[in-house]
Amino acid sequence: MTDSPYLEAVALSKRYEDGVLALDRVSFGVRPGQIYAMLGANGAGKTTTINIFLNLIDPSEGEARIGGIVTHREPLEAKAHVAYVSENVMLYGNFTAMQNLEFFARLSGKHHYSRDDYHDILRRVGLSDDVHYKKVRGFSKGMRQKCGIAIAILKDAPAILLDEPTSGLDPKAGWEFCRLLESLRQEGKAILMSTHDIFRAKEIADTIAIMKEGRLVMEQPAGELAHLDLEKLYMEYMAGHNGPMPAEA
Amino acid sequence: MLGTLILKEVRDIFGSTKFVISFSVCAVLILLAFFTGAQNYQAARRQYEAAKAENLRQCDGLTDWLMLRQNRIFLPPEPVAAIVTGVSNDIGRTVEVTGRGELSAEDSRFEGEPLFAVFRFLDLEFVFGVVLSLLAILLGYDAICGEKERGTLRLVFSHAVPRATYICGKLIGSLAALVPALIVPILIGCLVLVLMGIPVDVNGWFRLALAIGTGLLYFMVMLVLSIMVSAMTHRSSSAFLAMLVVWVMSVFVVPRAAVLLAGRAVVVPSVDELSSKKAALNSQLWTQGRQAISRWTPEKTGGDMEGMMKQFQDMMEKQADERDRKMQELAGQLNEDRANRQRVQQRWAFAAARLSPLASFSLAVTSLAGTDLNMNDRFAAEAAQYQGDYAKFMKAKTGMVPGRGMIIMKGDAGGGAKPKPVDPKELPEFQHRPIALAGAVETAIPSIGLLIVWGLGAFITAFWSFLRYDLR
Ligand SMILES: Nc1ncnc2c1ncn2[C@@H]1O[C@H](COP(=O)(O)OP(=O)(O)OP(=O)(O)O)[C@@H](O)[C@H]1O
Ligand SMILES: [Mg+2]
Repeated sequence: MTDSPYLEAVALSKRYEDGVLALDRVSFGVRPGQIYAMLGANGAGKTTTINIFLNLIDPSEGEARIGGIVTHREPLEAKAHVAYVSENVMLYGNFTAMQNLEFFARLSGKHHYSRDDYHDILRRVGLSDDVHYKKVRGFSKGMRQKCGIAIAILKDAPAILLDEPTSGLDPKAGWEFCRLLESLRQEGKAILMSTHDIFRAKEIADTIAIMKEGRLVMEQPAGELAHLDLEKLYMEYMAGHNGPMPAEA
Repeated sequence: MLGTLILKEVRDIFGSTKFVISFSVCAVLILLAFFTGAQNYQAARRQYEAAKAENLRQCDGLTDWLMLRQNRIFLPPEPVAAIVTGVSNDIGRTVEVTGRGELSAEDSRFEGEPLFAVFRFLDLEFVFGVVLSLLAILLGYDAICGEKERGTLRLVFSHAVPRATYICGKLIGSLAALVPALIVPILIGCLVLVLMGIPVDVNGWFRLALAIGTGLLYFMVMLVLSIMVSAMTHRSSSAFLAMLVVWVMSVFVVPRAAVLLAGRAVVVPSVDELSSKKAALNSQLWTQGRQAISRWTPEKTGGDMEGMMKQFQDMMEKQADERDRKMQELAGQLNEDRANRQRVQQRWAFAAARLSPLASFSLAVTSLAGTDLNMNDRFAAEAAQYQGDYAKFMKAKTGMVPGRGMIIMKGDAGGGAKPKPVDPKELPEFQHRPIALAGAVETAIPSIGLLIVWGLGAFITAFWSFLRYDLR
C-alpha cells in the first residue's frame, strides 16, 4: 500500500451539455491491491466518473489517469489497462456464455485462452457447467453479472472498474462476489467500485468515499470506519450535516 | 481485432431468429422468382411456336404469294427477360407485316392476360427491389443503435477498440454474412433454370449474372444505408422509422415524382395531336386539289376526248403523288420531333429518378435483361428490317409490293396448267437477336455507377457518424 495510485482522478469536473454539473473537482486515487468504494445517492456522479475513466465521455476539466495515462488523451492505451463491469451487464444474446467470453477475450487481445480456461473462469464466478453452452439471452440478471465479471477477470488488466456490480445478485452470489474481489485484490489489482451496498462496502473496501451532488464529501480508510455506524454517517452526509471532505479526525 | 469483430458480426447475424425467419422468406421468394420466370418462359415459348406455325399454315393451299393476307412476325420469348420482366409484358409481341406502311406491334402479354397486370409478376427485379431492400433494412436498422440500447456497445468500448475498426467490422461483417447467404438461393435458382431445361446461352448467363450482381449491389447499398442511419440515431425505433421513410421515398415517391416532373418540364405532343395535325394538312391538300381541278383546263382542246382524259388522269396522279409526299414529309417531321422530345423527357425522368437507389437498380437490371424501355424500339427496328426483306421477297415473287388495305385482284392468266402451291419455307424468317452484352452493359453503367456512389457515400457517412457517436 505504499506505491502510487494506479487509478487517479485529478480535479475531475463534468458539466453535461444541458448544464448539469455532474462532477465538481473530484480527486482521488486507487493504489494497486486496493479496493476503493464510492457511495452516493442516485445521480451523485458515480457512473459519470466511471464513464470518464472509460473515455465514454470527456471530462470538462481535470483528468482521469489509468497507470499514469490520461484517459481522454490516449483512450485506447488507457482502456487496455482497465477492465469494467457495468451495473447491468449486457452481452450478446445470440451467443452462448462461452462465445461471449471468447469474443471479449479476443477484443482484449487475449488469444491464448483455451476452452478449458473459459470453463474454469465461468466456474470461478459461480456459473455451473450446464449453462456454459446456453445462449445468454435466457440468463437472469445475476447470471449475466457473473459473466460480466468473468469477462473482466479474463482481461487480466491491472485495474478494474465496477459500477454497482452486486446489484441484482442474490445474497450467496453477493458473498461469492466479495470473495472474488478479495482474491483480485490479492493479485494486486486496483479496484474502483461504485455501490449502494453500505455493508458490503464496509466489509471489503480498503477506502470508502461518499459522493454527493458531484462532489466527494467523505473519504476514509475502511479500517477507521469499522467501529462507526457507516449507515448513520452516510445519512448525515446526505442530509448535509457534514461539510465537504472533513479534516481527518 | 477487425477479424474478431467481423466474425462476431457474422455469427451474431446467423444466430438471430430475425435473420432466420426473414432470410427464409426471401430465399423462398428468390426461388419462386426463378421458378415462375422459367414457367412463364416455357408457356411463352409454346405460345410463340404455335403462333409461328399458325402463320405458316396460312400458306397452305396458296398458289400465289399475293394471296397471303396476314404475314405476322412474333417477338420470341427470352429466358433472361422472363426473370427480369421489365416492360416485356407490356409491349406488343406481334407485328403484322405488309410490304409497306407503318408497322405496329400488338398483343402484349398483359393485353392477353390482364389479370397479371394488376399485381404484375414476381420477378427478380421485384424480389430484389422491394423484398430484399426490406430485408436489408430489417437486418441493418439496429446495427449500432440497437447495440447501444441493449448495452453491449458500452462493454465493447470498455476494451481498447478503435471506433474506426468497430464500424468497419460492423459494415464488413454484415455484408460478409448476408451477401454470401443470398448467393445460395440465387445459385439454386440458376440450377432450377438448368434443370427445367431453359435454354440460356452464354450471353444470357452473363447478363443474368450481371443483373444479379447489380441486385446484390443494391442490397448492399440498402444495408449500408441502414447501418449508416443506425449510426446516426440512438433509438432503434427512430432508426427504423427513418429507414422506412427512406425506403418509401426510394421505392415509391422519387421514381414517380421524377417521371411526373419530367412530364411537366418537357412537353411531348400526344399521338392525337399529331393525328389532328396530319388530318389538317390532309384536308388542306384535298381542298387545294379540288381547287386545282376546278381551275384545270385541258391544254389543247382538239376535241380529242381520249387525250383529254389522259391529261386529266396524269394531273390527278401527280396531285396524289404530291399529296403523299407532303403527308409523309409532315408525318416524318412530326414523328421525329415527338421521338426527340420523348427522348429528352426520358433522359430527364431517368436522371431524376436515379436519385432513388431502387430506380437506379431497376434501370440497370432491365437494361441488362434487355427489358428496358428500348425493348420496344429494338423490336420495331427488327420488324422494319424484316419488312424490307419481306418487300424484296414479294417483289421477286409477285412483281409488286403489297401494302396495307390494298386489295389485289388478279385474273386467271392462262387457262390450262394447274398453278403450283407456294412453298411456305421460302417466306423470309424473322430474325430476333437478343441484346448484345456490351450494349446492355453500356446502358446499365450510369445506374450501376450511381449505386456504387450511393454505397460508398453511405459507407463513409456511417464511418464519420460513428466516430462522433455517443457510446453511453
Ligand atoms: N447524458 C447526460 N446528460 C445530462 N445529464 C446527465 C447525463 N448523464 C447523467 N447526467 C446527470 O449527471 C448526474 C450524475 O449522474 P450519474 O449517472 O453519474 O449518477 P450515479 O451516481 O451513477 O447515479 P445512480 O446511483 O443512480 O447510478 C445526474 O444529475 C444526472 O442527471
Ligand atoms: Mg450510476
